[in-house]
Amino acid sequence: MRGRFYRLIRDLHLYFGLFISPFVLVFAISVFFLVHSWLPRIAPETSATRAVSALPLPADWQKLSGRPLIDALKPTLEKADVRGEVGFVRHMVKEEKLIIPVTIPGRETTVSISIASGEATIVTRETGLADALVTLHKSPGQHGPDIRMNWFYMRVWRWMADATVYLILFISVSGIYLWYVLRAERAVGVILLFAGALSFFGMAYALSH
Amino acid sequence: MPSAIEPTGPAKSPNVPRFRAGFERWNRKLHYYAGLFLLFFVWLFAISGLILNHSTWSFAESWNNRKETNYEREMTAAGPEVTGDLGQAHEIMRQLGIEGEILWTTTRTDPNQFDFQVRRPGHFFFIKADFARKRVNVRQSDVNLWGVIKVLHTFTGVQMDDPRNRRDWALTSLWAFSMDAVAGGLIFMVLSSLYMWFELPQKRVPGAVVLGLGALICGLFCVGLRWLF
Repeated sequence: MRGRFYRLIRDLHLYFGLFISPFVLVFAISVFFLVHSWLPRIAPETSATRAVSALPLPADWQKLSGRPLIDALKPTLEKADVRGEVGFVRHMVKEEKLIIPVTIPGRETTVSISIASGEATIVTRETGLADALVTLHKSPGQHGPDIRMNWFYMRVWRWMADATVYLILFISVSGIYLWYVLRAERAVGVILLFAGALSFFGMAYALSH
Repeated sequence: MPSAIEPTGPAKSPNVPRFRAGFERWNRKLHYYAGLFLLFFVWLFAISGLILNHSTWSFAESWNNRKETNYEREMTAAGPEVTGDLGQAHEIMRQLGIEGEILWTTTRTDPNQFDFQVRRPGHFFFIKADFARKRVNVRQSDVNLWGVIKVLHTFTGVQMDDPRNRRDWALTSLWAFSMDAVAGGLIFMVLSSLYMWFELPQKRVPGAVVLGLGALICGLFCVGLRWLF
């Protein structure tokens, strides 16, 4: 019975670990970019501008804000062939324009629509893989919960990010069990566990007190 | 009992070089040594990441439950050796007995007014110095344990879109170094696990399917979405 349980945990540890390893790499590699505020450019960042005319705005858009406004603007963006996660929409009253930022990991698009004429200028910047990893690391993030994850694929990413956390918790707990079964490694393991706990709690205490 | 990653298939040929056998043994050992040392760091970043991604979870609310205190103090004029905004901010913090990472949020327009923030996990200080009156006003916000956990996740001292903010507290640098170390440790653990899995012939196919599925889904988000849309 114990042997079967051990083998089950061992296999789950292996297969779950293999499944989330690409996600762990995404989160771990992007840490270096975020901590050092640095983005390596493998290829030069490119930018393209195009114009679209006669874009229809939803009739009641001025009464809307937040998520309802984003949802109402989705058909307009689709007509302009712009897809992705819509950010905070700005209404430039003086210029009579709507500025709509749209993001796909590795690409930032800014749609400026003239309210009067429906003419739109669309600027697309290809920001590259490193920026894509940073975007994914920070998504959905703590800000703007009312408007974020308004694109299906980013909602899926949120599920994947959550699943990564739950599987990491499972893998770490199952890893402790698998280590504890190895009697010869217990002493060294306990010392390292203690050293890690001391480093972690020592630093957290020093930072917060 | 065999190790989780010990080969369970036929015994290796005696021709396997000693170096390779030693590499395998140490790869396996270092995998769980690194895991054990980094355990609490990994738990912190995993749980705080989950909480940050679910900012509507009320049990982890910290900012709305903060405790605020306001106070005003006299300050003495800084000597001529104190130059620049950073030097002045450090001098004011020294007089107030505050330590932490300085955050520049406003542009200085009046030379007699000097506003900045100081942050450390759990504590936020909003400082307004008036050099003409030689007074400094401090609004201090203290958040609960969830707030500490959330700030630890993002406490790097730098912001990608604001080059003005640089690390200026030694403990921030130490924590940033820890973040690098945890990330490096996780990358090592992933690579070492891939090697250990590949050394298990009977697990190669199911492992490749699972790894391929994970890589496919992850690749869709990293590069695939840009191709599709």
